[in-house]
Amino acid sequence: MAVTETTTKALLTPVQPGLFGERWAKWRRRLVVWVPAGFVILLVALCFLGPVVLPIPSPTGGSILDSRLPPGSPGHLLGTDVDGNDVFSRLLYGGRSSLIIAVSVNVIGILFGGLVGAVSGYLGGKPDTVIMRALDVLIAFPSLVITIVIAQMLGPSMWNTILALTAFSIPAVARISRAATMRLMQMPFLQAAELSGSPWWRVLLRHIAPNITPQLINFAMLGMGIVIVTEGALSFLGLGVPPPAPSWGNMIFQAQQNMSATPLLVLWPSLALLLTVLAFNLLGENVRDELSGR
Amino acid sequence: MTTIETTRPQPVSAEPEPIMSVQNLVQEFVTRGPGGVKAGVVHAVSDVSFDLFPGETLGIVGETGSGKSTLARAIIGVDRPKSGVVRFLGRDLMGLSKRDLKRARKDIQMVYQDPFGSLNPRWRVEDVVAEPLLGHTRMGRHERRERVRELLDLVGLNPDTYARRRPMELSGGQAQRVAIARAIALNPALVICDEAISSLDVLIQAQVLNLFEKLRSELGLSYVFIAHDLATVKQISDRVAVMHLGQLAEIGPAEEIYRAPRHPYTKALLDSIPGLDPETGIAKRPVPLAGEPPSPLNPPSGCRFRTRCPRAQDLCAEVEPRLVEHEPGHFASCHFPLEDPATFSVESLRDSIRSTGTAATVVAPDEGAPGPAGADIDADEPSPEAPDVPDDPDAPLLLGQTGEARRGTDLL
Amino acid sequence: MTDLATETRRPETIAVSSEPERQPVLTVRDLHVTFSRAGRRIHAVNGLSYTLRAGRTLAIIGESGSGKSVSVRALMGLLPPSATVRGSALLGDTELVGMSDRAMRRIRGNDISMIFQDPARSLNPTMSIGLQITEAIRTHSDLDKKAAADRAVELLKLVRLPAPERRYHEYPHQLSGGMRQRVMIAIALAANPKVLIADEATTALDVTTQAQIMELLADLQDRLGTAVIMISHDLGLAASYAHEVLVMYAGQAVEHAETNTLFRNVRMPYTKALLGAIPQLTTVPHSQLTVIGGHPPDLAALPSGCPFAPRCNRATEKCRLDKPPLDEHEPGHLYACWHPYLPGSEDEPVPVDEETVS
Repeated sequence: MAVTETTTKALLTPVQPGLFGERWAKWRRRLVVWVPAGFVILLVALCFLGPVVLPIPSPTGGSILDSRLPPGSPGHLLGTDVDGNDVFSRLLYGGRSSLIIAVSVNVIGILFGGLVGAVSGYLGGKPDTVIMRALDVLIAFPSLVITIVIAQMLGPSMWNTILALTAFSIPAVARISRAATMRLMQMPFLQAAELSGSPWWRVLLRHIAPNITPQLINFAMLGMGIVIVTEGALSFLGLGVPPPAPSWGNMIFQAQQNMSATPLLVLWPSLALLLTVLAFNLLGENVRDELSGR
Repeated sequence: MTTIETTRPQPVSAEPEPIMSVQNLVQEFVTRGPGGVKAGVVHAVSDVSFDLFPGETLGIVGETGSGKSTLARAIIGVDRPKSGVVRFLGRDLMGLSKRDLKRARKDIQMVYQDPFGSLNPRWRVEDVVAEPLLGHTRMGRHERRERVRELLDLVGLNPDTYARRRPMELSGGQAQRVAIARAIALNPALVICDEAISSLDVLIQAQVLNLFEKLRSELGLSYVFIAHDLATVKQISDRVAVMHLGQLAEIGPAEEIYRAPRHPYTKALLDSIPGLDPETGIAKRPVPLAGEPPSPLNPPSGCRFRTRCPRAQDLCAEVEPRLVEHEPGHFASCHFPLEDPATFSVESLRDSIRSTGTAATVVAPDEGAPGPAGADIDADEPSPEAPDVPDDPDAPLLLGQTGEARRGTDLL
Repeated sequence: MTDLATETRRPETIAVSSEPERQPVLTVRDLHVTFSRAGRRIHAVNGLSYTLRAGRTLAIIGESGSGKSVSVRALMGLLPPSATVRGSALLGDTELVGMSDRAMRRIRGNDISMIFQDPARSLNPTMSIGLQITEAIRTHSDLDKKAAADRAVELLKLVRLPAPERRYHEYPHQLSGGMRQRVMIAIALAANPKVLIADEATTALDVTTQAQIMELLADLQDRLGTAVIMISHDLGLAASYAHEVLVMYAGQAVEHAETNTLFRNVRMPYTKALLGAIPQLTTVPHSQLTVIGGHPPDLAALPSGCPFAPRCNRATEKCRLDKPPLDEHEPGHLYACWHPYLPGSEDEPVPVDEETVS
């Protein structure tokens, strides 16, 4: 272990000092991974188990008579929205949708995009060119057009939204995966693998995949925030999760229309979004170091 | 085109059959400009031929652009050469199907320059060493584990300590040993070492060189040892081939090459090495070779070394020299090769120095002193010519024997 | 035939060294560099002292982890914030240790400059080399663009770059490794510094190019009187081009003397081991080289005695407990060892079985 730490190169590489100096650096590293992780776990627990365990009113079907109640009102922790629905409940159920969408899109993105990119980078030559051009075509289409088309054809729903969003996630991940793979192909250990007689599937699975996965996970973490926000934008177009079912995105866009009158209704989902995106971003940046440092 | 004019070189040992025979190997790369338009051709390897005999170590020396690494990759089949034949253990590797090639690969393995680059950072040492066993044999898991332990022992790594480690927990020397263990896992006939010790510390280099020798004698391996300078290959090679810009400048028994190089480039390489004799502490100041190395994109006509060669004549620009045998097994491709400096030897120099009691001899650079160690040198030694050599191409040009030779450019 | 004829670097050097007129340009006293990483303290340099005089070359030799690179980077102020530098390094009258970043920036490139191992990384690939040199010139002088450009071409001529006017407009990728290194030297010498540090400057070059570059440096030193610190692991290189050699191990100097003196009378076992590891013309091919096993100590947990003791076959209890000081045991020859190789004492180290890779 000690060997690599004391090489000149390692010593001369600047290390981020903690805000409070070197002594805190170790703690800071721990904190910066586990606090966001804890938050995410808490969030997931709340959104998925909360409504089951806690006495929370339904997110829909509120009566107009209860509309725009302030936070702290009896039975409504964060008040109600314009339609009389409990905000807190909508946050939780909305969180479910947003998280499901974000996770699905990114997982599918990593799996398919990662695979396509890795295979493309590994094969190189003509197959690589063909695959990349195909992906380019996909990206070249105006994204809104595709989403609208899909929504028209399939009807707006959560799963169709996921489908539409993966159309963008996959090429993006594929690009990264391909670049990482091509960089890896330069490494002698892949050549050595060929000499050792390892077949293509072992090379992809055991050589390439473990080495590009950290980067892909990193990208996916950053992608979480992007997907949630994009889904919200889609709601604006009448796509995405169809009202009255909540998602953070559509909550923001609905409330935004009346922002001056009811600013809090914009605040809650935005705050939830902010914290979640921050948590995922922090995780994404630092989990790679934690994993590889072990 | 350097082709062998005489009959095939006599083998070093009594074995008549080479395990590898490379004939007229050519490798070129097309460079493309913007838009994919063909911009030029890199003549990486131009018509190289040599044999390798069982149990021998062939050192291939060359600088940047010499094509030595490309040659290694072409031999091992990673990059298909443009043309030529590589005969290994009786079979032409070029003509093999992918499956047969894979099977042939069992017997050739490679050790790379970057010890960490050649190991997957996420694998454990035991997985790394076991990989060829997985790929080429049907050994069971237990058998493989046993073999891995055996191999780690062979390369001087305690299996209990190292088997479960990952590359980042190893030092450079240890990582290289793991790479070597992997290379010998299948008991190959030939191991190609591509600058295998260049990135290691001095003391570790010596350790690894010793390891190579040990494995050679214990396992009967043959090596192709690629390096960028002659000092490194000296210890380990039976024969040495010197490459320049894709061609074989000289090839022959190691002792001969060092003692009596024929090709001016070989001499220049030898002179460029800062030498230090550990026993006497005498240093040899390198004599630099003037000029920039030519580009492999646009090699000079005729002899590719002529732009930097102090002996170059008009002929050198017009006709490409071919490999000519000067002594049994010693070939050089030069129109005006160097002469054998006869009886001069290290021992005689040492003896003469000791007998006169002068440990240090000072040669002021401006003196055209007749000999390095004063008047005590063997009188038979031919006196170095004054720098008018081009008039007499057969006269010995002993670059480095006098301070004068430092101004190599003046001789052109 | 590569003869082992002695061509000592400068025949007159032996006398010159005792010339009192050679001004010391850099005096390093008791330099310590410590890194703090994750709560551990790594002692990269432990009490380094030497004096560098004008027009002389000092070679600092060591393997990786010896602290040679770190020590010169400390002089240049090129260490990351996790490093703590103690001691003194006087460049003329200026104290380099503890200097502010701003002050350092004025000195760097002006009075003391450095060339690195990988010229490709040190040159900006998007700027023409002429522009890079001009920029260096204008940073340290008041010359206008035209005058600086002219000086740049002059510098290119000085470093013997062929076709300097044409090269001025070319980009780094159009030049070979040797040419790029010449450009680096030109940039480094733009302001005529008193000290030039060459950190493994020729390690990545071909031998023939290396010889050219070293020759160039020697010539420039003659002409400009620059003092040179040459960092390397190559003893042969040091022996051929340096006036003085300082051998470092585990952050400290273990032997230091004039080149001839040192190589003719190696005292410290580590230096002897380094020498022994070089394949020589006279070693029997296929023989085993004399090597020592083990590896350099962990700089975060340095032993109390001599750092080389665990690997030294002449080590005794005293060596393990008591750190030998670097003393001038013989005139002009400093070493730190309790049992040095003295004439008459037992000579050859017993070749340690190289299988002891711990």
